[in-house]
Amino acid sequence: MEVAQLVLNGVMAGTVLAVPAIGLTAIFAVLRFTNFALASHMTIGAFAGFVANTTFGLPIVPSLATAFLVSGFFGWMSDEFVLRRLRASGFVTTAIGSIALTIALENFVRFGFGNQMRGYDLPLRRDWVIQGLRVSPQQVENLAIAVVVVALLFAFLALTRTGKAMRAVADNPMLASIKGINSDTVARLVSFIAMGLAGLGGMLTGLDTTIDPLVGFRTILSVFAAAVVGGLGSIPGAVVGALVVGIGEELSLLFLTPAYRTAVGFLAILLVLTLRPRGILGQRAY
Amino acid sequence: MSELFARAIVAGYGAADEILKGVDFAVGKGEIVCIIGPNGAGKSTLLKTISGLLRPKSGTVSLDGKDITGRLPREIARAGLAYVPQEHNIFPSMTVRENLEMGGYIDPGAVPRRIVRAMERFPVLGTKQRHAARTLSGGERQILAMAMALMVEPSVLMLDEPSAGLSPLAAEKLFDAIVEINREGLSIGIVEQNASEALAISSKAYILVDGRNSRTGDAAELAANPEIRRIFLGG
Ligand SMILES: Nc1ncnc2c1ncn2[C@@H]1O[C@H](COP(=O)(O)OP(=O)(O)O)[C@@H](O)[C@H]1O
Ligand SMILES: [Mg+2]
Repeated sequence: MEVAQLVLNGVMAGTVLAVPAIGLTAIFAVLRFTNFALASHMTIGAFAGFVANTTFGLPIVPSLATAFLVSGFFGWMSDEFVLRRLRASGFVTTAIGSIALTIALENFVRFGFGNQMRGYDLPLRRDWVIQGLRVSPQQVENLAIAVVVVALLFAFLALTRTGKAMRAVADNPMLASIKGINSDTVARLVSFIAMGLAGLGGMLTGLDTTIDPLVGFRTILSVFAAAVVGGLGSIPGAVVGALVVGIGEELSLLFLTPAYRTAVGFLAILLVLTLRPRGILGQRAY
Repeated sequence: MSELFARAIVAGYGAADEILKGVDFAVGKGEIVCIIGPNGAGKSTLLKTISGLLRPKSGTVSLDGKDITGRLPREIARAGLAYVPQEHNIFPSMTVRENLEMGGYIDPGAVPRRIVRAMERFPVLGTKQRHAARTLSGGERQILAMAMALMVEPSVLMLDEPSAGLSPLAAEKLFDAIVEINREGLSIGIVEQNASEALAISSKAYILVDGRNSRTGDAAELAANPEIRRIFLGG
């Protein structure tokens, strides 16, 4: 029974993890670097949603939308003014620049909100127990929200002209430019959407527990592991990778104390890079 | 009164910035013009410069009398030039249909109508419209690449070795399609290894050697020239 409970928790956690993991992998697919600033954007989203929820009294769903929009806006701006300039100097420079950026932005949040833990304004609800398995209504809501967001994103990429143009740039940027697609516009859009997803993921993570400025930093390794396991650059891969990492982290509790849970992310990255460097689904963007 | 004019083009890559050492090239209204020459002569480099992927060090490119030198590829596409690169000329993970849609990206209103037209002209694209483009054979890819370029109504179409890797039969079909497209009024510039086929469908030809114009003239005359036959036509 304990294993079933852990797997269930893992599916819940993995689905939420998929949201920022898609952001990380989408940026890689289009802009060809790993943007570790995703961590601080998760934090920014979590706090933007916190302000919307506790200061302005908005319900959870509009607060999540606020988290998406605010962190998306920061993502767009940080790409426009910082990362875009670094990209010409290559992958390593840009990735390192994104780490510096994330430290700066995290401290910006700390300056505004301090280090203490904060919680969202949520109704207190009793956990549901079904067949001996325990879930909180909040977890189920988070799962539903994550599924809807991922489905909307897939629909956007599969059905709209702009979504297809984003996939075209990821697939073959040279040809996309010949066909008249503006890669600068696509870069802005992917920065906005991906960092919006990061912020949404940051708030979803925090809804379950509490938030502080380190909420993104604590999660980024799992997010990165999910994207790498699924194949960096592949959006369906990020979903699969997030479920693998989410379930793996929960199952690790059978052997490890919670403090070592993040070791699972490391281990997953190591295993995948050794055995199957292109990830489970390879490098297909979509 | 040429549609496309490239004059005294000097262009290249990074440190090797003079691969083309002053090349002239033109495609007149309604013409098929071919470029032939040995491997490494700079034929693809010329097409990349015309389409905006490379910025020339000097020289000018104009389309319908409008200067397009050094403009971005997307601006040149909107000015009416369609270009099919020699390699990487499809979106591999997108479906055949989506590839056609991206071909018509700058003219979305006409996309549904032109997809129907493309599938009439090249039935294989209709049969395989839901397949990922990466699963197509070499010949099917070349057809898709050309059909993508026709999804806009370009004034000039530039093709870089469209018959490369095709079986003789598939190549012949492709040349037939090129002639048919040209009859509909499109000006076409074509780079070819398959020199005799290319000269046969062209009115004018440019021979490029080591980044320079070697010979230029009437395609039939060049095809009949013994020296050229010996070097390029193996006979
Ligand atoms: N991306 C590149 N970077 C540097 N040199 C290149 C590149 N592409 C082609 N070249 C060089 O430019 C010359 C002309 O190449 P290309 O235009 O492709 O010739 P062709 O199409 O006539 O076979 C060759 O010497 C080739 O090595
Ligand atoms: Mg070539």
